[in-house]
Amino acid sequence: MSEKIVISPTSRQEGHAELVMEVDDEGIVTKGRYFSITPVRGLEKMVTGKAPETAPVMVQRICGVCPIPHTLASVEAMDDSLGIEIPKAARQLRELTLAAHDINSHAIHHFLIAPDVVPENLFATAVESVSEIRKTAQYVVDMVAGEGIHPSDVRIGGMASNISEVARKRLYARLKQLKPKLDAHVELIIGLVADKGFPKGLGVTNAPTLATDKLYGDRDNFDLDRFTEIMPESWYDDPEVAKRACSTIPLYDGSNVEVGPRARASVYGGFNERGVVAQHVARALEMKTALSKAIDILGELDTSAPVMADFDVTGTNKLGVGAIEGPRGMDVHMAQVADGKTQFYSCLVPTTWNIPTMGPATEGFHHEFGPHVIRAYDPCLSCATHMIVIDDEDRSILKNEMVRI
Amino acid sequence: MVLGTYKEVVAARSTDKQIQKIAQDGGIVSGLFCYALDEKLIDGAVVAGPTDVMWKPEPMVAMSSDEILAAAGTKYTFSPNVWMLKKAVRQYGLEKVGTVAIPCQSMGIRKMQSYPFGVRFLADKIALMLGIFCMENFPYESLRTFISEKAGVDFDLVEKMDIGKGKFWIQTADELLSIPLKETHGYEQSGCKVCLDYVAELADVSTGSVGTPDGWSTVFVRTDAGDTIFKQAVEAGVIETKPMDDVKPGLGLLEKLATDKKTKAMKVIDERKAMGLPVPFKGSGEKEDPLANV
Repeated sequence: MSEKIVISPTSRQEGHAELVMEVDDEGIVTKGRYFSITPVRGLEKMVTGKAPETAPVMVQRICGVCPIPHTLASVEAMDDSLGIEIPKAARQLRELTLAAHDINSHAIHHFLIAPDVVPENLFATAVESVSEIRKTAQYVVDMVAGEGIHPSDVRIGGMASNISEVARKRLYARLKQLKPKLDAHVELIIGLVADKGFPKGLGVTNAPTLATDKLYGDRDNFDLDRFTEIMPESWYDDPEVAKRACSTIPLYDGSNVEVGPRARASVYGGFNERGVVAQHVARALEMKTALSKAIDILGELDTSAPVMADFDVTGTNKLGVGAIEGPRGMDVHMAQVADGKTQFYSCLVPTTWNIPTMGPATEGFHHEFGPHVIRAYDPCLSCATHMIVIDDEDRSILKNEMVRI
Repeated sequence: MVLGTYKEVVAARSTDKQIQKIAQDGGIVSGLFCYALDEKLIDGAVVAGPTDVMWKPEPMVAMSSDEILAAAGTKYTFSPNVWMLKKAVRQYGLEKVGTVAIPCQSMGIRKMQSYPFGVRFLADKIALMLGIFCMENFPYESLRTFISEKAGVDFDLVEKMDIGKGKFWIQTADELLSIPLKETHGYEQSGCKVCLDYVAELADVSTGSVGTPDGWSTVFVRTDAGDTIFKQAVEAGVIETKPMDDVKPGLGLLEKLATDKKTKAMKVIDERKAMGLPVPFKGSGEKEDPLANV
């Protein structure tokens, strides 16, 4: 006889989602379904018909957790649509911004999983370590991108301005100082995750991994022809769930996929481990990769080089694609500009890709592990919502008609 | 208290011959910034830098004495220095910022420090704010118009401008012209009409020519931060001082001018309030001291 365990909303993640697990007599999950119940944002609609420069400013406000990837994906999409080649230094500053943001965001996730994996006697140490890392990482974003949370200086055509030589040296020194602290932090987290003793094979799925780059993102590695998007009712076989799910189901080669640090490590770093522990390890190790990259960029950056390209904002209605590897995975924004206005805008965001993969990942183990499986993906739902509730009484979702956020 | 709160007021000038030559009066702003930079008390300063257009300053972040000196001298039109402060701590990476501000800007900066909306991590990085006395400020076009029309001088030929003895002075390579200050009225920024601050009451150190002889400046040391830096600079011999009582015309003139400015502005404020217009100051009936800068 099967029983249904419902966790709503799932905790210690951004946004609201529900995990519905069918379990057998021993509490083992036989069917897992995870879906977003976060209300729609409507930003894709809001930027349509406006000047292209409006899009990065608005879409970064989809969410305060990863505004940096959204801003970068947006300007990259606009650059592509308008046929802009950005200067080398601008590209370096963008990569630096994202690398620093990755470190910051992964550190936040360690804060979120701390109650799961950190024993009480180490709790203060772990939280202080997170704070210290975030402080330095955000300092980099503050200086390079203008603001730590909603960056004002990442612009279509490049960056608003280069940093000064003083700032470059200061950031270089700060990040060098951070390195031993970060190494110790990564070791601490990996050790604590191992000590937790998650059952072997927890969270392992057969979903293929999808990533476009080791760290930054590369639109050439995202093939739009292989992408399809279906409605939740064609995906979830439980009509109650299908009716209430707020996100569409994106597929690549007809299959649901996994994106994020483990996906990147598997595609570009030969990292073959799968499951919950592997995701935590890949995420922690990625902080080191991001820090090395940030230090390298600061070592090479020419602070007197131009950072803004000349461009014409009229546009040819070309479909521009911006693919950015955000902390939680590949974030693709698409934009078309013609007559100086945005004609079409769409975001394919990291957690949307992971949502159909996360539910089934809970299967085969006791339902008590369900939240751990979900949290290992570091889901962030506010940007993933693309549907709107039409009936507040029974919470049903608009049918077969996609509402663009 | 028409001169604001202060710890000390003295007559002072920079001892550096180069600064004396190019500075407006006693070279206090240039001298203090150069000293603070050299001693690493600040790591940069937002000042009114020169541009391609004569007498049209733009805010710049000076990180060396040379850059400070390039910006020396008073310009009688706006340089929106406050706007540059955020950039100074972001892209320029400064952690101890100096800036020079006229009274309205110093009010803006203090308010911004109290309510840091949109300027996270900036408030505590302002290490030294030097204020300059200001009776009024002219939009660039106003300045150009009354100099070329009333004094009949090509704007590009002007080498120095000054206000003193009731006149607006214009120095060119071969003549010294003046316009009675009365004739410049109507050309000032409209905000100046309701301004209750003549001597930059909220700065760390404020300075200006009024009250002291040519080549010297009157200096009010107002805050602990200002006191520390000013004392160090005097001790290091970068700045020399004389007691205010020993110089003419002395504090009396400053008090008179400050009272005049405040009285005139209060009248406008009260008039505007009576008409129901928004004014960011209290009416004279709403405060204990009718001339207080609140």
